[in-house]
Amino acid sequence: MTEGPIRACRRPRGQGRRPRSRSPRTAPLALLALAACQESLPTAATDDLVRGGVAVEVILPFEDFGTRTRVFGGYGRASELGGGFVAHAFGSGTGGVDEEGLEAVTLLRFGRYPGFASVTDTTGTTRPDSSLTFLSGRIAVRFDTLSSVHRGPVEVTARATTEAWDGVSANWEYAIDTLRHHVLWSRPGGGVLEEIGSAVWDPAADGDSLMIMVDSARVASWGDTLNPARGVHLSTSDPGVRLQMRSALMWLRTLPSSNPDTIIDVLASTEATSFIYDPIPRVPDGSLRIGGAPAWRTVIDLNIPGTLTGPPELCDVLGCPLTITERHVSYAALQLTTAAESPAFAPSDTLTIDLRMVMVPDILPKSPLGPGTTGLTGVALAPQLFAPPAGRLVEVPATTVVRDLLRGETADGDPVSNTVALLSTFEPLSIEYASFEDAIGPGSPRLRLILNFGADG
Amino acid sequence: MKLIIAALAAALVPASAHAQSFLGYRALGLPVGAADARAVALGNLGIGLPGVQLTASDPASAGALLFPTVSVSMQPSWGDFDLDGQTGTARTTRFPMIGIAYPVPGAQATVTLSLSGHMEQRWAGEQDRIVSLGGLDVPVNDRFETNGGSSVARLGWAQRLGERFSLGATVGTYVGRIDQAFERTLDSLVVGSDVRPYEEDSAWQYGGYTLSAGFATDPHDLIHLAGAVEWSGELKQKPKLQTEGGERAFSIPLRLSAGATGRLSERLHINTSVAYQDWSAAQGFEAGVVSTETLSYGAGLEVQVIRRDTRSFPLRLGYRQGALPFRYRDQDAAESAWSLGFGMNLVEIEGVRFGWMDVAVERGTRASAPLSENFWRATISLGISSS
Repeated sequence: MTEGPIRACRRPRGQGRRPRSRSPRTAPLALLALAACQESLPTAATDDLVRGGVAVEVILPFEDFGTRTRVFGGYGRASELGGGFVAHAFGSGTGGVDEEGLEAVTLLRFGRYPGFASVTDTTGTTRPDSSLTFLSGRIAVRFDTLSSVHRGPVEVTARATTEAWDGVSANWEYAIDTLRHHVLWSRPGGGVLEEIGSAVWDPAADGDSLMIMVDSARVASWGDTLNPARGVHLSTSDPGVRLQMRSALMWLRTLPSSNPDTIIDVLASTEATSFIYDPIPRVPDGSLRIGGAPAWRTVIDLNIPGTLTGPPELCDVLGCPLTITERHVSYAALQLTTAAESPAFAPSDTLTIDLRMVMVPDILPKSPLGPGTTGLTGVALAPQLFAPPAGRLVEVPATTVVRDLLRGETADGDPVSNTVALLSTFEPLSIEYASFEDAIGPGSPRLRLILNFGADG
Repeated sequence: MKLIIAALAAALVPASAHAQSFLGYRALGLPVGAADARAVALGNLGIGLPGVQLTASDPASAGALLFPTVSVSMQPSWGDFDLDGQTGTARTTRFPMIGIAYPVPGAQATVTLSLSGHMEQRWAGEQDRIVSLGGLDVPVNDRFETNGGSSVARLGWAQRLGERFSLGATVGTYVGRIDQAFERTLDSLVVGSDVRPYEEDSAWQYGGYTLSAGFATDPHDLIHLAGAVEWSGELKQKPKLQTEGGERAFSIPLRLSAGATGRLSERLHINTSVAYQDWSAAQGFEAGVVSTETLSYGAGLEVQVIRRDTRSFPLRLGYRQGALPFRYRDQDAAESAWSLGFGMNLVEIEGVRFGWMDVAVERGTRASAPLSENFWRATISLGISSS
């Protein structure tokens, strides 16, 4: 018997019971009650009735909210990207740490050829034909026209690999680089290769596609799916180019037995798509890094203050030191200053990043992470932000993280961690990575807070 | 009967009130007046009406009850206001009074249990402002909403002394709560949609004790008189849950009330009532909030339009003028209302009601410059008295 006033209109409209017949005496009463069953408060706009609040923006330097930054790499594999890169001397001669520029090749391996195809025979009947003769092939490559960097047409060369390689672990130095098995290429970058063919990709004329023909002998040799050395090595010799390949397929020109006068195209399955590149980015010194393939993460140890001693406009009204709780935080964001670290890996397309709690910091770099806090799409970073001389300010919303840390648990009551990771929304997302200035220097991370207080604090 | 049961079930989550007003926004709100439809229709302040009924403010009236009785009231209201040129509307529906009485024949007495509204605060204020954030002017919308009020749960004893006199006393406790919410929404076009509104919720629970005593008498076949005095301890407002701040206490002044009904003819009754309560010295309120007005009064006529052996159909007309305890700003507040109503005494034997429904409609005004409010209010009371 201690709760608030009784409202007669408790049940939401539309959820009532099925109306029953009412006696004539109660019907007017019911109508009256129903007519009144829409509650509305008297509402006026006047300073008398509304307590004002205090809203203030606070920007904390790194030393006021963070204790350490670290960068960890090696998350995921290039093969998990589902595409590839082709580059030659990309970003070279810029005086950076990667003076020679980026070299990248895409490795493809096609799998078993189709065992049958539906063919229209000489009588006009469509039926399966399992006796197929593969005459030749063509590799159809599709590039991402937006994220590829080049000037004009680019010649792309396809070569056949001759050394056994692993579609998951291969990298520039190693053909196989698994936990217990390491096999070097005889020559870095794919070992000994055999020429297949070349083609010029001119986006203005060809759109996003490039075709490279494969002769019948090569098609026949690739039919041996037990041969781990089979594969396609796509590269370019045009300097200053970095092409991002979205997909590659091999179409087989096929002669069916049921209708020898007809040539059909069938699709070979794709067993492996990966890319290898050189140089492998080194652990950054003096910058933070997010993205890449394998991916880099920036980890920040936070120490969100529970009291504020400024700014003056806040202290003048509410007094300082002022305790802040999660409900005072309307907005929080990490402000990062972009850096132009390595042209070879500079973003050429939008990167998306997320901020997540590192739930067991002691076991980094393998700690599990909390859920994403920046929504499904993450924070989009345009490539122009990283173009020299960079130094642009970007914000990564951290309202959920800061509120949870001030609360001491998540809104659902789950534990929180003072260590957070900045990472790609998907790992790996691209060979490109975003670089930011470290905690030392004028461009160090800052924490922007929009705080609101009631008139009485 | 089903409506009564439903109302009683709803009342298990207590406290009740019916008023919405900006009056008393700095204090305890608007008083909840008489809650019985018969009294409302007659402009009565809840005291001095003869016959079978349950009235929280007339401790001795239950002495006339012969059988277990239950009564409940429902009160939808519609209002509009003018505040410094701003106009708006409001509406709500409440159960302002629920009562049960149980006679104790051996002692010539009746035990009563009631829950009735005392004060209510239900209003909202909105204001658009500009705040400066990082050198940027940001439009914000501030909304402050308060919703709740205090009620009184009373346990009473009404003792009949002879055929024409009753004494009554009640002990009651204040119950109820008030919820307040402040929300500041920043313009997302300026600050972005990631910036969340600032919300501040607080709640207080009411507590305290009240005692009342009164008499009712029929000195003559044509006259019924009643009087009551109600004393309250401090009305305490305790913060609930995570609400910051300490307990607040408000003194509630002594309330004196009296009423009389005279039978002008076999079918025509006239009644009047008056209440005195001086808030001017009450403690715990901000300066300039309490009113100096002390007197409330009302009068009405009741005529039995249809009268049969086992049922009757009275029509009622009334007017009342009330002194409200809290101002809007500097001017004392007053409330007046004309009322009209009817009764349906569905089962009535020798003037004793066993089942009834009373309906009243009021048209009233309140004023405390620069605020003026008008309201339409309906009150429906149902009662049943049965062996």
